[in-house]
Amino acid sequence: MSPEIAPLALHEQFANPNQQRETASFGMWIFIISEMMLFGGLFVAFTVYRMYYPQAFDDGSAGMDIVLGSINTAVLICSSFTMALAVYSAEVGSRKLVSAFLVLTMIIGAVFLAIKFTEYYKHFLDHKAPAVWFDSAGPGGPKIELFYVFYFIMTGLHALHMIVGIGLLMATLIRNLAGQITAAYYTPIEVAGLYWHFIDIIWVFLYGIFYISGLHK
Amino acid sequence: MTPAVSRRTYLFTWLTLLGLTLLTTLLGFINMGPFSIVIAVALAAIKAALIAGFFMHALFEGKLVRVAIAAGVIWFLIFVSLTLGDYITRGWLPFPGK
Repeated sequence: MSPEIAPLALHEQFANPNQQRETASFGMWIFIISEMMLFGGLFVAFTVYRMYYPQAFDDGSAGMDIVLGSINTAVLICSSFTMALAVYSAEVGSRKLVSAFLVLTMIIGAVFLAIKFTEYYKHFLDHKAPAVWFDSAGPGGPKIELFYVFYFIMTGLHALHMIVGIGLLMATLIRNLAGQITAAYYTPIEVAGLYWHFIDIIWVFLYGIFYISGLHK
Repeated sequence: MTPAVSRRTYLFTWLTLLGLTLLTTLLGFINMGPFSIVIAVALAAIKAALIAGFFMHALFEGKLVRVAIAAGVIWFLIFVSLTLGDYITRGWLPFPGK
């Protein structure tokens, strides 16, 4: 352990680096669980209304762009993979690879957002923007609009998390370039990774309930 | 520090996740009535477990973190089952207004 990284490697309130690492990881997991409850409330509300209006919610789901949705799922899984490799590179102490994988993860995350906003634009053109411009003619119109309300709130909240996540990775990248992340102390990138993977998990569920449920129509 | 998970494991996890996504999409084209969304969510749960277990190192954490994660998941399931237990059983009793 070189002297300049020693203060960061172990703060005085911890008995050993392992306890310090686990404390940070534990704190991030508690935050992730609170996020799980935030999204969980929306998932449960969606489930209740889907039970009430199964037909309309299937019709709403059938209006999704499955190609863009599937590509986006694959894109996000790839970004999780590069994020995992960034953490791995930090563990083995390769600063260059950490930077490279962080940049790659941010780029793939940006691609996800670009595809997502393209979808939003298409929904708007299709008059499927609830409360703004929604064509609710036809059977079950207002109920389909309710599906889109859930869709925009949940994917919108997810997109917001993505933007925060990219900012977090940017901050981690700066710390890495400043030499603050080493094989002895890589907690910042590890907790940033936890957050990034969690966003991926949320999307996997969003993909299932919004894109897949009405695909057979 | 020795990495908790090897690159080979990450690679297999990544490929499995992509494979499960393809499976989810293909199964989505089959009309299974109300089971379509059940299967989609079940496959999503498997993918989530893979991401949490390997990418997020949940399987390799100490007892404290694993207990916290399990508590979070169990608490969420209590939330789901009590809420849905209420909504599903409304209308089972022949009382007016129920």
